[in-house]
Order: sequence, then structure tokens, then C-alpha cells
Amino acid sequence: MLRLRQTGFSYLFLFPSFLLTAVLGLYPIGWAIWYMFFDYKGYGEASFVGLANFERLARDAQYWDSVVNTFVYAGGKLAITIPLSLALAVILNRAFRGRSLLRAVIFLPTIISSAVMAVVFYMLFNSYNGLLNQYLLKLNLIPERIDWLGPDHAMLTTILIAVWGAVGNYMLLFLAGLQNIPQDVYESASIDGANGRQQFWHLTVPMLGPVLQIVIMLAIINSLKGYESIMVLTDGGPIGKTEVMFLYVYKLFFPTPSASFTADQQFGYGSAVGFATAVIVGIVTLLYHLLSRRLNKLQ
Amino acid sequence: MRMKKLGIAATIGMLAFSAAACSGGSGNNGNNGNNGGNGGSGNPPATEAAGNKEPAGGNEAKPQESGKKVKLSYWTGDRHDQDYITEVVKSFNASSADNIEIELVVKTDDFNQAIDLAYASGQAPDLIRVKENTIQAWAKKGYLEPIDGYLSDELKQKFPAIPDFNQIDGKLYSLPNYGSTLRLVYNKDLFAKAGVAAPPKTLDEMVETAKKLTEAGKAEGAYGFAQNFKSTQSALFRSARVIAEANGHGGLGYDFKTARYDWSSYKPIVEAFKKMVDDGSTMPGMESLDIDPLRAQFAEGKIGMYISFSSEPGVYQNQFPAKIDWAAAPVPTTDGQVHGKTSLLGGQWLAISAESKNKEAAWKFMQYMYGDDILKAYQEKGFGLSMVPHIASSAGKPAINGIEGFMPTENDGTWPLEPTSALKLEGIMAPDAFFKYMLSGGDLDAIVDDLNARYNAALDKAIAAGEVKAEPDPAFDPMKLK
Repeated sequence: MLRLRQTGFSYLFLFPSFLLTAVLGLYPIGWAIWYMFFDYKGYGEASFVGLANFERLARDAQYWDSVVNTFVYAGGKLAITIPLSLALAVILNRAFRGRSLLRAVIFLPTIISSAVMAVVFYMLFNSYNGLLNQYLLKLNLIPERIDWLGPDHAMLTTILIAVWGAVGNYMLLFLAGLQNIPQDVYESASIDGANGRQQFWHLTVPMLGPVLQIVIMLAIINSLKGYESIMVLTDGGPIGKTEVMFLYVYKLFFPTPSASFTADQQFGYGSAVGFATAVIVGIVTLLYHLLSRRLNKLQ
Repeated sequence: MRMKKLGIAATIGMLAFSAAACSGGSGNNGNNGNNGGNGGSGNPPATEAAGNKEPAGGNEAKPQESGKKVKLSYWTGDRHDQDYITEVVKSFNASSADNIEIELVVKTDDFNQAIDLAYASGQAPDLIRVKENTIQAWAKKGYLEPIDGYLSDELKQKFPAIPDFNQIDGKLYSLPNYGSTLRLVYNKDLFAKAGVAAPPKTLDEMVETAKKLTEAGKAEGAYGFAQNFKSTQSALFRSARVIAEANGHGGLGYDFKTARYDWSSYKPIVEAFKKMVDDGSTMPGMESLDIDPLRAQFAEGKIGMYISFSSEPGVYQNQFPAKIDWAAAPVPTTDGQVHGKTSLLGGQWLAISAESKNKEAAWKFMQYMYGDDILKAYQEKGFGLSMVPHIASSAGKPAINGIEGFMPTENDGTWPLEPTSALKLEGIMAPDAFFKYMLSGGDLDAIVDDLNARYNAALDKAIAAGEVKAEPDPAFDPMKLK
């Protein structure tokens, strides 16, 4: 009887979270999984099409291009963000004047809306009257304007902006990790004659291991998912060079101005593409997880 | 472990689909901030029509019994007339005997998307500005309320119903105000500086002129030609479209004679555009240029030529006062001869949302907006050239710089509706494919063949689904449009 009461209470307390998860999590997923097999424009009748949406997905070159772009974008962002934020964390973990101010300045981009950020960066980077080109020309560093948002450089520009927005956040997580490493380990290493570099590679990095693993996993998911600033900055252009997976999915659900002449929302196909995208992100995350667990065992 | 994987997948899925799920909502809370008080919601328009047949501009309807304000929102994508419409709305709010208050919302860059999102999340406005490329889609999606029942016979006579452009499947959704013509807009100062006497008449001349203008202006950052390629559709469906029409072809790839798609009509145009890119005669950064930043650059004298609608004079009068002398001319054609009339677009302006809880109040505002004085002033102030016969015949000529070149001539006419907006196309769309060719080259014939195959397949599907009617008209004459 007591046990029943206890479990009853447990379920009672779990109920609000379950309700929220069901309404905000399970229902939309179920909705999307259902409509994956339909042709549905958001109005009128939805017609069952079986696996036709997936057949279309298989031959949708634009989508697969966006998958490649996403990996370039995410890879580039990770390759710069992780080392940079770790380095900044190590530097800003030392005691010096102005440390708090610097930490705040580097963290600041994290709390600014990515869409607002993209608008400001557009003013800096656009090649016809952007400030960056004007300064570079004035200082004679470039012979003529560079088309930062053109087909050749747009991806690099979006990666740099993404790095700027993300570094502060990961730096903060690394700082928290660094502060958990006891000082006496470094003291005894110093007594044993280890220099700064040796201390970093043989003490800091291994002891940061668990934090590093989580940070990298978060960074992978975030980079594969991120599209908001790209949408404002380039809307996936020019000629699809910065189209990423989730932006492509978003456009199927809510056609952006660039698609205004075929204004129909494609909920059925959008759901199928969204599902495939979720599977891709899931697989990458899982692979990373398995890899890092294996490395743990090796250690 | 398995739960963790599931959790990751669920999180990602949630983010991707939660927006879409909202669309399942009933839209009961259709308008933001309504205080209610108007018992009209849900009544079919016909039952109200009898007591509501004052001519446009009438404010004589019954005052609200409750004394509470009825707040309505009107969303528009027009910015060129923003100051004027703001004044008009203000005076309506001040004088409304029905206690109706209109909130004017102007969104330009992502208007269509904002409307879709608003409907999907149950926050649709009460009144919407509809255009020739949105009214069909929005009527079919059920966003719009038919207004036939509200119209008095007098209004029916005053405002012509234009099938496909304000009357869809026999139901009227909007009334015409102004029409837009499309022209080549050019910087006279830069032309003079480059020693070019007149705007180009052929595509080859356009390419040559752009080169000369760039040579003359590059030192000051001015370039010969520009387009708003942030949206390839918005760019090419105003520029290449009108040149194709003047060449005698449907502007959006459709051939009315055969009732099939034939994008080869775009070939000479896209080749000319590509040549200008290759020559370095186009504004750098044009790939990320939206129409407003483009206009701002033109107003500063940084662009020699571009192609756009007759809303431009209003823009350079109010939004971006032009620092240069400029004019508009008919667009160039392949051989310098005009083989087809160029689009006179329009036939619609305001529409009432099907989800509005205060449709009668919305209609009262709509009637007010279509009042003679407001429409006349609209043309006279140069915001648009009236398409309403009784206004066009009585309103004065617009007193605004640059409008002369946009005035409709015998070479302007309204093309029948092309089915392009109703197609569910698989793969890359024509404007994107052509823009890709302009920037990175390729085999244009193969691109056109691929587009034709995919557009015609989509057309066949749309015909089979009963969404589109496409009958060949071998006698179709692009010079004999109304």
C-alpha cells in the first residue's frame, strides 16, 4: 500500500514534465512522422504518397549539396572554435589586470541575437559599401574590393561570424572546467620540472577530458543545426553556396522571399527532409560519442 | 545509452518540427489584440451586405454599442507609399464613427513569409496587401475572405473584376488600385559622364553601355548595372521577365501558344546578363543585394542602370531621396524591336483575412481606402498609376520626378496568368539555375532543357491534379493584350 502510494506520488510529480514533453516534443515529432508519407501543402487535403517523398529526397541534389555545405560549415566552425576557446580559457584563467573585462567582452556575442548580429555583419562585409572593404582599401591592404559574401568567400565569412558568436560560450565552459583542476597538481608538476607546454598537454588537456567531450558534442550539434544567422546574412546564397540542411528544411516549411514564386509550403516533403536531417545529425553525434568512449577506454 | 540516443534525436526533431506543428492550430485567436465588441464574426458577408452599401469613403455606419475600440491590423509590404498611407490610416482612426482603430504594419523584405508564419501561428492580420503573385496562392490557402457580398452595384461598376488577378474561381477577393509598369531605370548623370546619349535599345547595347558606365564611374565606386540577387526570383522575375515579354514571350517561362514551358526565351537575356558580370560591369556584392539596398545605392549614384517597377519614383521622392538626375525608359530587346507588350501588373490592393473576427469593420476600412479622394491622391502623389477607370480619367498626372518614363503606353498590357506560381517544382528553380550560370558558367542549352523538362513535368502534374488549366492558344498575340 505504501509502495503504491509512493509510486503514485512519483507519477503525479512526473506528470507535468510528461505533459510538456508530450505536447511540445512527442506530438510535433509524431505529426512530422505522420506527414512524411503525405503530400500536404498546409491547406486542403493531405494525400497519401507512401515513400514518394523519400524517393524525391534521394534525387534532390539541392538537399545533398546542403548536407555537404553543412559539414563544411560545421567542420570549419569546430576546427576554429574549439582550439580558440580553449586557448582563450587558458589565458583568461591566469590572474592579470582586466581579466574580468576581457572575459565579459569575449562572452558578449553569446547574448546577442544571432539575427541582429548577422545584420550588423552584413553592414561590415557587404562588398559594395561594407566597412571592412573600405578600411582595407584605405590601408592599401587589398587592390580592390573583396566580395566577402560572393560565391568564393561566403562560406568562409559565415564560418568566421559563427566562430565569433560561439567562442565566448565555449570559453566559459572551458573556464569552469579549468577551475575544477586542483592547483596542487600544477605545483607538483612544476617541482618535477615540467614546463608550461608540458603542463598544458599532460595535465590540463587530460584533466579537462570530460568537459572537452561534452563541449565538443554540444558544438557538433549546434554547428550542424545552426542556420539563423546564415538565413539573415545570405539566405543560403549566393547560388546555394551557404545553404545548410536546416535552412533548406525551414524553407520547405516557410518559403523565404527567394522562393516566393512557388509559394506553397511543402509540409509533407519538409517533414521527410527534416526527418532525414535529424537522422544525419543523430548519426554524427552517435559516432562522436562512440569514438570518445573508445578513446576513454584506451586511456 | 539508448535513452540518450533517443533523447538526442528527440531534441533535434523537436527543433525541426515544432514550428510546423503550430500550423495544425485552429486559428481561433485570429487577430491580435481584438477587443471584440463587434458581433459580426462568423456572419456570412451576404447577410450584412444590405445594410452596408454606402459608397466608398462612407463613415456613416452605426457606432459601436459597446463603446470599445475595435482594433484591426493591416499588414502591407509596400514601403514606397508608407508616409502617405500612415497619414490616411491616422485620419481614419481619428474620424472613425465606428470606433475602429487600424494598426498599420509595414514589412518589406520578408512579407510573404511573415504572412505564412502569421497564419500558421494563428496571428493573422485582419487586412492584407495582396499582389498579383500572392493573391491566387493566398486565396487557395484560405487566407482571404471573398468580398462579393459586401459590394454594392455601384462599387461593382467602379472597380472592374479581373479574372485570375482579383477574382479567383468566381469569387472576388480584392479591388484594383494602381498598376505597375516595368522599365529600365538609369542614372542620367553617369550616362552624361560616360558620354552615352540615350538608354540602350538592344541587349548588346545594354552590355556595351554598362561597360562604358563602369569605366566612367568605377573610380568613384559606380558600376554600370545591378540587380537585387539576394532573391534571384525577385531579381530575374522583374528584369529578365520584362525583357522576355518585350521579345514576345511569356515573362515567367510559359508559352501561351503551346501551353508548355520554354525557358529558351531567357537565353539571350541571361547571356547578356552574364556578359555584364564577366566584363566586371555589375555592382560587386550584387549577389547579396536586396532591392532596398540596391535603391539606396542608386540614389547615391553608384549604379548606372537597373530594371524595376513604377514604384521607383515614389521611393526616390520619399524613402531614398535621389542625389542624381535619373529617368526611366522602355527595356531593351534582343533586336531593338518590340514584339510583345510589357506587363502592366496590378488589379488588387487590400484584402480581408478569412480569419479576421471583425470582417465588417475590416470592410469599412477597405471601403474608406478605396474612396475617390484617397485613390486620386495616390496617383497624383506618384505612388502608382491608377488602374481604376473612373480615377484614371479624373485624377491629375502624378507630380513626381521620374514618373514620365513609367506612364503606361500602347506597349504595356496585362498578360494572362502564367501557371508558374501554382507548380510544385522538384529541384532547382529557373531563376536560381540562370543565376548560377551567370556566376559560374556551364552549358546553357543543357540548363534550359533540364528546366523545360522539370517545369513541364510539374505542369502536367498540376493539370492532372486539377490545380491548373492550360490550353494551347495558337492565335495568342503578345501585342494584342488589353
